[in-house]
Amino acid sequence: MKRILIVDDAATVRMFHRAILEQAGYEVDEAVNGIEALEKALLDPFDLYLVDVNMPKQDGFGFLRALREQDLQQAPAIMISTEAESADQMQAFEAGANAYMIKPCKPEVLLMNVRLLIGEINA
Amino acid sequence: MNPLLEQFLSEGRDFLQGIGEKLMALEKAPDDASLMTELFRLVHTLKGNSGLFDFPAMTLVLHAAEDLMDDVRSSKVSYSQTLADRLLDAMDFVSMQCDEIEASEGIASPHSDHARQLAESLRALRGQGTATVQAPESAVSVSAGADMSAWDRIPTDQHALLEDALRSGMSVYLIEYLPDDNCFFSGEDPLFQAIQTPGVIWRTAFARHPWPELAKMDAYACNLGFLMASTAARADLDEHYRYMPDTVKMIALQARASVSQATAVVTLDAVREQALRQILDVQARILALPVLNESHLGRLRAVSNTLAGCLRASGREGELGALMAATQRAIDETSGDVLLTGMHRLFADLLPDIVPIAQSTLDAAPDADQEVRFGRRAEDSSGASRSLKVDQVKVDRLMNLIGEIVVAKNALPYLAARAENQFGVRELAREIKSQYQVINRIAEEMQDAIMQVRMMPVSFIFQRFPRLVRDISRKLGKDVHLVLEGEETEADKNIIESLGDPLVHIVRNSLDHGFELPDVRKAAGKPAAGTLTIRARQESDRAVIEIIDDGKGIDPEVVKRKALEKGLIDEAALTRLSDQEAVNLVFAPGFSTAEAISDLSGRGVGMDVVRAAIERVNGAVALESVKGQGTRIRLSLPLSMAVTTVMIVESDNQLFGVPMECVVETVRVPSADIRTIKKSMTTVLRGRIVPLRSINRLLGLDAPPLTNEQDEYAVLIVRLGDEILGLLVDDFRETMGIILKPLSGVLAGLAGYSGSALMGDGTVLMVLNAKELI
Repeated sequence: MKRILIVDDAATVRMFHRAILEQAGYEVDEAVNGIEALEKALLDPFDLYLVDVNMPKQDGFGFLRALREQDLQQAPAIMISTEAESADQMQAFEAGANAYMIKPCKPEVLLMNVRLLIGEINA
Repeated sequence: MNPLLEQFLSEGRDFLQGIGEKLMALEKAPDDASLMTELFRLVHTLKGNSGLFDFPAMTLVLHAAEDLMDDVRSSKVSYSQTLADRLLDAMDFVSMQCDEIEASEGIASPHSDHARQLAESLRALRGQGTATVQAPESAVSVSAGADMSAWDRIPTDQHALLEDALRSGMSVYLIEYLPDDNCFFSGEDPLFQAIQTPGVIWRTAFARHPWPELAKMDAYACNLGFLMASTAARADLDEHYRYMPDTVKMIALQARASVSQATAVVTLDAVREQALRQILDVQARILALPVLNESHLGRLRAVSNTLAGCLRASGREGELGALMAATQRAIDETSGDVLLTGMHRLFADLLPDIVPIAQSTLDAAPDADQEVRFGRRAEDSSGASRSLKVDQVKVDRLMNLIGEIVVAKNALPYLAARAENQFGVRELAREIKSQYQVINRIAEEMQDAIMQVRMMPVSFIFQRFPRLVRDISRKLGKDVHLVLEGEETEADKNIIESLGDPLVHIVRNSLDHGFELPDVRKAAGKPAAGTLTIRARQESDRAVIEIIDDGKGIDPEVVKRKALEKGLIDEAALTRLSDQEAVNLVFAPGFSTAEAISDLSGRGVGMDVVRAAIERVNGAVALESVKGQGTRIRLSLPLSMAVTTVMIVESDNQLFGVPMECVVETVRVPSADIRTIKKSMTTVLRGRIVPLRSINRLLGLDAPPLTNEQDEYAVLIVRLGDEILGLLVDDFRETMGIILKPLSGVLAGLAGYSGSALMGDGTVLMVLNAKELI
């Protein structure tokens, strides 16, 4: 089963994304900030990261940068933000995201992107 | 309720609480940038959460609040009192919506007008230049046309029904019926009118304004609004509402083009291809980024993995080898170019025109702007604490189990005694005893640990006061400075929770009746601003909370007059009352000193309710007041209700428990010192006459009370309210901590007992309720 890490400080958002992803048959883990996320990723790398921008302690950009510096199997990451501007997007890509989605994202759109990034035919 | 929604509400309330606190803190330190950042983050996250659901009004307000906070943070708008007021109003609205959502299990009534007003008032503070609203893909699209907003007002789970109706060729009208406040006087019957609407396939009713407090509610004003969807012909609807055209709006619903399921299925492949193309486009942009730092290789690998995913998802697994080769070369050369070319080849059909645009866009982005954006999300130091939310039922279960262990372990000393006396194995008895010590220690620690879980700081209830005091004192035109002390004092959750309402009531009383208006204060030689101190501290095993004001105090003469008028006391008794005793009459049921019932503190409940609420959790209230100088109310509460300490007494060869909180002392009274006055026994204790009762008599036991060899009676002195009374028992035993279980079933009717407890030897101890018994 493919494993996905949700990195978000808002419990409601985590629960929302978890429900969508688990229903689609993924194994889901959660982290409330970048630091915890990196710890989890180092312990057992995931197949995909779903990362919020604005978090206490370490934000999404910081986490992605730190993640990409590791010598790991580098799985794709989706950054989820409320900002639609291209400067924000570029910043996310620069930090190491592979896709950028605007919050709140529709479940079907999120799932489609997840499946494409993870590489499943029944996307 | 849906667990996700539950989560949203619970987290949302935490955020609202936090926002309120930050706003109050900012009043004192308006320049604190970190507070501001934290405040922004809270509003931002709350808005994000609300966007997951279909609560357009809430999201609209939060969105406006977030934009405003962003401007304040970046110093485009300066922080002001008005701004705080508006934000607090907005948060109250959100909080109210949360309550409604909870009550209705997920449906927020529209309140769109109120929401729009709030949002506009927030936006007004932002000034002209920034008044545009961008809500790109959020659930509330403010810019959407009339029809879109019509759909937004209907709960999503009803959309299918209405869409079906539209598909089958019927016309569907959305009817908004907002009866006038005074409609009852013009013979309108809104509910009947709404129910009788022809062709209704969906309808809902909501409150047009937030419901006022019961005392303030005008029963003759209509506060209802109705929203209905009807398939009836427009002419019929017009006919039905012909007498009230001003209060009814009708919108013909149009089928929505994009999201209907049928079309979604048809175009799914196209959508997917589009998404795939977009992902590839992004990877191309990433590959074109300049090599800047350590994370570059990781980024390359992530892109490669993403591309591998895309290959698999589009059925080109055969090309994975080629991708690997390209990735390896790209890593060796530390350059994305090889991979970019490779990807161009692999996905040639999907990407006829990959443009490596990134370089230019990145350069073009003005640095200053980037700086600001970065700041907006800059991480902040205040971390979320690592705490766990646990259902209280689970903690209660633990508490019950540990209670059983405490009782069960008490059987071991009895077992040891039996081993020694009955079976003569002293060695075993000793081992059992030492093992008992170990278990005892662990059990006590465990009990303590579980009780700690239930402990909450009083700040839980104190935190509402800054806002409460600020709002009420402003409303009353008074100037009151609130001082909170000892907020970290802890007590059991039940105790803390039961404290909330009485405290609010006391504080309101104090603000309403205690403090004088600034002019009056100055005239009396006091500082214009009054000080209200709420202080908590722990005193041995009790939590003490004092509410102290430096207001005008309570006038004993006024209290006496009132009490007389209300018939609470007769003239003769009145003259004997000391001033302090007179002041305490405010606790008498049915007493209220307010001349006129104000909407703040006079809601038909007085200090008697406060006292009852505090006594329910075995607490006590004391009040001292000096006319002209102020009032001090002292609440004393047990720290925990889990373990009750009882004194065990013996009577007629039976054991009974008496709660320690009502025991004053134990004395031995020589039978010669007992007198009978008017058929009741009394004795004199330190110059005070104490009435005596035999516990056997009270319990209906025939045996007379026993004396010891010195012809002395064992007398347990108990306090019942303000009275002191002696209970004649046969003998005193030890005091012990027990887990009191209330009586249930048929026994529950026995008011003379407050419950039972299981003793270590397996016997049941009945605990007396002295107050009821006598």
